[in-house]
Amino acid sequence: MKNQHLNQGDMKRSNLTPLIRVENLSFDYDKKGPSLIHNISFSLNEGEVTLLMGASGSGKSTVSLCLNGLYPEAVEGYSEGNIYFRGQEISQFEKGELNQQIGIVFQDPESQFCMVTVENELAFTMENIQTPREEMASKMDDVLEAVGLTDLKERPIHELSGGQKQKVALASVLLLEPELLILDEPTANLDPVSSLEFVELVNQLQKDRGMAVFIIEHQLDDWISFTDRVLALSREGELFADGSPDHVFQKYEKRLVSEGVHLPKDIQSSSLHPATRTTDDLGGETVSIQNLDFKRKKKTILSEVNFSLYQKEFVAIVGENGAGKSTLLQVMAGILTPNKGNITFLNQPLKQWGEQSLRQKMGFVFQNPEHQFITDTVYDELAFGMKLNGTPEQEMKEKIDELLRHFQLQNHLWSNPFSLSGGQKRRLSVATMLDETPELLLFDEPTFGQDAKTTEELMSMVLELKNKGTTIVFVTHDMDLVDQYCERTFVLNKGKVAFQGSPDELWKKEEVLVEARLRLPYRIRKQRTEAGEVYDLVR
Amino acid sequence: MISSVNPALKMVAILIPGVLLSFSFDIFTPLAYLIFVVAFTFMFSNIPVKKWLLVFTPFVFLALGFAWMTMLYTSEGFSGGSVLFEFWWFEVTTGGLMVGISLALRSLCFVALSLMFILTTDSTKFMLSLMQQFKLPPKLTFGILAGYRFLPTFKHEFEVLRQAHRIRGIGRAKGVKGRIEQFRRYAIPLMANAIRKAERVAIAMESKGFTGETDRTHYHHMTIGKKDWAFFASIVGTFFIVIITSYQLGYLNIFGRQF
Repeated sequence: MKNQHLNQGDMKRSNLTPLIRVENLSFDYDKKGPSLIHNISFSLNEGEVTLLMGASGSGKSTVSLCLNGLYPEAVEGYSEGNIYFRGQEISQFEKGELNQQIGIVFQDPESQFCMVTVENELAFTMENIQTPREEMASKMDDVLEAVGLTDLKERPIHELSGGQKQKVALASVLLLEPELLILDEPTANLDPVSSLEFVELVNQLQKDRGMAVFIIEHQLDDWISFTDRVLALSREGELFADGSPDHVFQKYEKRLVSEGVHLPKDIQSSSLHPATRTTDDLGGETVSIQNLDFKRKKKTILSEVNFSLYQKEFVAIVGENGAGKSTLLQVMAGILTPNKGNITFLNQPLKQWGEQSLRQKMGFVFQNPEHQFITDTVYDELAFGMKLNGTPEQEMKEKIDELLRHFQLQNHLWSNPFSLSGGQKRRLSVATMLDETPELLLFDEPTFGQDAKTTEELMSMVLELKNKGTTIVFVTHDMDLVDQYCERTFVLNKGKVAFQGSPDELWKKEEVLVEARLRLPYRIRKQRTEAGEVYDLVR
Repeated sequence: MISSVNPALKMVAILIPGVLLSFSFDIFTPLAYLIFVVAFTFMFSNIPVKKWLLVFTPFVFLALGFAWMTMLYTSEGFSGGSVLFEFWWFEVTTGGLMVGISLALRSLCFVALSLMFILTTDSTKFMLSLMQQFKLPPKLTFGILAGYRFLPTFKHEFEVLRQAHRIRGIGRAKGVKGRIEQFRRYAIPLMANAIRKAERVAIAMESKGFTGETDRTHYHHMTIGKKDWAFFASIVGTFFIVIITSYQLGYLNIFGRQF
């Protein structure tokens, strides 16, 4: 099936003139040093699905914005080389004309709308391209039906879920009736089931409308089945692979891994094996929660939560967006106070802990590392906790040196934390929690939107801490990660603990998985497909 | 209904009496007009009385504060009349008292007029009508609308930031210096994020074909019809009727000059 599809792609390519032709494109924000994107050339063909991979920070998004002519003008950057749309140089198009041919859905669901309601946002697009008013209503209804949002027409966008927001973004772009649809990591901020729904929707729309699709992504798995061609961008901003998926993954496997790209799990499946889930050598109890209730403005967020956590344990809290996962983590960290119930931390009620000693024994890593930075340099950031605790100067210096080495931040000692790269920010945000080895370390979706290399680095640091005796708690959507690393997992559904136990047990409980909108990890899906069981959560 | 009146014209209708009222220093004019505005608000809109009072009441106290201060510190031009009472070094005259009460009533008129506008106007439609009726450039109106969307996000982000700082061991700021330091710590990440988001939205808008040009079609066609002029006439007309009545009864006082 897949091969057949590929052959079609090959045929399309040879017969048609390219929709987009990029020749020797270079781009940078300033003229100093090597450019961000360096001398790349490629074509996108009519009706073809092309996927661009590359580690975060390699300039993937920049390429997409160069294609529709928004860059370099929008950011006052410099570019060289030529881009042709159907044989015509893009600078010859009038302002706004090219944007109608090329629609883009961006990564961040929060910042791609300018109107309050779905209806007005869709109208905005049609007004831009001067659709006559009489035609607007019917066009809007058609597109809403195509993406399955008819019921949400009059809702304010900020009340929708991430998945719904991305569908609104897709709908408003479809109203342009573009020849090329660019998707810039559209599912990076979505939970797994919403993400799969979005991918399938794009697949369907592409089949119905036959437009070319250009996908920028580092989580390839769901896209790869209908991708005709794959491009790969290196950290230096050079294009090093261009061809059919099978060809590229065979030929460039090593290079891709070293570039920090998530390979499709089809290829790396040999290295995917579950954690050895031993519960024998666990230490004493770290946290115990009894009959916990939490309400926000009379709305129950958590109810009747009961569980204990032990030393040397790696636990995942999973569930749909809005199930109360982050709230539970914040209650455990003592930054939210429960309405009912008891939390004991190291055999002492959480309420009785002094703020300072509590923060020494417990760490919390936020989803967005930037939220945690409070000083102007990496050094001060690391020293902050120790200064607060009155650690002697000499000891502090040694500790900071050790942390810098360990987290590979030696060269950035005096950099501003905000100027670091994504991976470096993530590492620093963890390092700031480790001035003393904590007993409990809480993570709120730490691997969201991170590339393979950053995720891998993070996981090895976490495992090291776990082996030292720290209890690790992850709130995550990544079920492969749960399968690979966790001893136990808690499923939250509508504020209640719907399941607790070993992940292996969870994979058998289809009811729980469907209810909480969870996907099976790739390893299990593959096993089941091989055994002939058809398992798909979305339908 | 007031909520269906063209927002741009509604704004003008409210601004005219709002500005002109500032010149009348007697008690009768603002009082009569205030009664009219409040009655009009409740007759032609379905704003819950409770909600209206909740917003209005704090301003009553503010207005009383204004009146008290004005009464004590009336400039000599207005402080005619007999001395009512004295304490410490203050002398309260009938003129001062009049000016004070008038100021309070005028402030309440502004508040009532503003509430009538704010509680019955959809911000999106207001912007669209400014663009369609008053030819405000789309760049500006859609810019403001995009900014308006950020308000809830901003609040959420501030909350997260506060929590993150608590995790790092920073408690509540103490003293003025601590507060300034805390403000600086919050401001940088908040600003950094806001700028990044604004940039993203701008790019998303442009990529949907927005050019900032005025040649665009309109989904919500904002018009000015008979009903809108009727609203305008009743708000502005009543104001002049009140002024004329006040003049004929001999109350009217503009900038201290009795007519």
